[in-house]
Amino acid sequence: MKKFLRAVFLVDLIEGLWVTFRNQKPSLIYTEQYPAERPKVAERYRGAPRLNINPDNGETLCIACNLCALACPERLIVVTSERNEETRRKELTTFTYDTSRCMFCGLCEDACPVDALELTQDFELATYTREGQIWDRQMLEEGPRPTQYTH
Amino acid sequence: MEALLATYLKPLVMTAVIILLFPLIAGYITLAERKVLADFQVRLGLMRVGPYGFLQPIADAVKLLLKEDIVPSAADRWIFWLAPVLSTVTALTAFSVLPLGPNLQVADVNIGLLVILSLSSVGILGTILGGWASNSHYSLLGSLRSAAQMVSYEVAMGFAIVSGLMVAGTLSMQGIVKAQFDRQIWFAFSNYGLMFIPFVTYSIAAVAETNRAPFDLPEAESELVAGFHTEYSGFRWALYFLAEYANMFVVSSIAVTLFLGGWLRPFANIEALRHPLDFAFPAGLFGLIGVGCAIGMRRRTVAVDKGIMAVLAMAMLGAAAAFLVPMINAAIIGPFWFLFKVSVILYCFIWYRGTFPRFRYDQLMRVGWKYMIPIGMGALIVNGLVLLKAR
Repeated sequence: MKKFLRAVFLVDLIEGLWVTFRNQKPSLIYTEQYPAERPKVAERYRGAPRLNINPDNGETLCIACNLCALACPERLIVVTSERNEETRRKELTTFTYDTSRCMFCGLCEDACPVDALELTQDFELATYTREGQIWDRQMLEEGPRPTQYTH
Repeated sequence: MEALLATYLKPLVMTAVIILLFPLIAGYITLAERKVLADFQVRLGLMRVGPYGFLQPIADAVKLLLKEDIVPSAADRWIFWLAPVLSTVTALTAFSVLPLGPNLQVADVNIGLLVILSLSSVGILGTILGGWASNSHYSLLGSLRSAAQMVSYEVAMGFAIVSGLMVAGTLSMQGIVKAQFDRQIWFAFSNYGLMFIPFVTYSIAAVAETNRAPFDLPEAESELVAGFHTEYSGFRWALYFLAEYANMFVVSSIAVTLFLGGWLRPFANIEALRHPLDFAFPAGLFGLIGVGCAIGMRRRTVAVDKGIMAVLAMAMLGAAAAFLVPMINAAIIGPFWFLFKVSVILYCFIWYRGTFPRFRYDQLMRVGWKYMIPIGMGALIVNGLVLLKAR
């Protein structure tokens, strides 16, 4: 009987209408206007890699220990270094990081003993070429330079 | 001379205004539809063209007018041309008998409702011919569905309308509104509330009649690409589009005229409510929209957007002020209530579309033949008996 009355008075349809109606609140709007309005990325988000430099003297923090390259499951980091005969320390020469193969697992930044390599919150990694996905030391230190568009 | 002006010039001017203005209004109904649907789906909707997408209809119109005119090589050229024209012409002709206000009507013919019904029947032909002339499977299937659907729901709609006519006792659109004034009740609530059943039947049948979701089988995009207008693009498609929105407006207007008191305000006979409803309500409504526009203007950053919003806010506040002047108010309060009620029904159309999933074809036919028509028939008989008893 109850079921019959529900069907006659279209209760289910009215309930459905109420669901859509109460979802009209502007505060519920989920989408954002992406290029104009930047999304808030979680604090621990792992995005574009960065090779930190010492803000005091502008030199790299990296000690070329190669631990990140060893930690990387994809083997996409290549570190080269040469020995400075004067100070008798290893010095970083090149650092390449292939973001096209990276799965952003963060094992490299965990392995880094001096917090030189870090995955930042920057998520805009698109490039026009595959080669553009391979970041060299300069890009890692200064950040990628995205094409500036005007419209 | 005076009589000549009243007989010929006024209808001509009104016709011209309707034909010129309605495409723009239809454009803004689509804007409202897209915005309201976006609200239902908790997203923003149009935001790029103008402030909050306000100029989108104009951009769309320009795009449609400039598109290449494509006729399929196997199409029946003349009928392909004729079909959208037929749809649009019949839909827009129906506007001629809509009572927008006490004196605002192209022609108050004594068979007003019948004119609209017959025109909408001819309008179906535009849909069917369009699908057939395209020479495409999807189009043909769409038009076959639309033929079956419109024929079956027209019966249910007819029964609901006849119930309304029985209570009104006239076919003239102005006469129906005046009958509701004399009877001191909107027909949706008359006959001890029994007339509400035809009103609901009419509301459902009207959605089916205009091919709107959840009855949009003729153009079910997940099954038939775009149904009967698959092969249409550019300006011809725009004509179909215009016809659809004109039909929506017309069926809403019939619902308003026949069941919801036309251009009468709610409780038209209670003099005490005249000031709050005829002055305070519209002024407050437009004032609120104006204030909303002003707040929106402050949020925009681009100068052009700010300007447009400022103009809108001024226009809305101006309209609010106009409603407070007794002389202007007397002229525009009828159209205001009529269009307000029509907008509420149009909102419901969009609301249904945002809520209900599409019917399967057999479900559609079952609802039409097994529920709508018997209910319509039963309501007609019961209402007739009650009326007979009351007399």
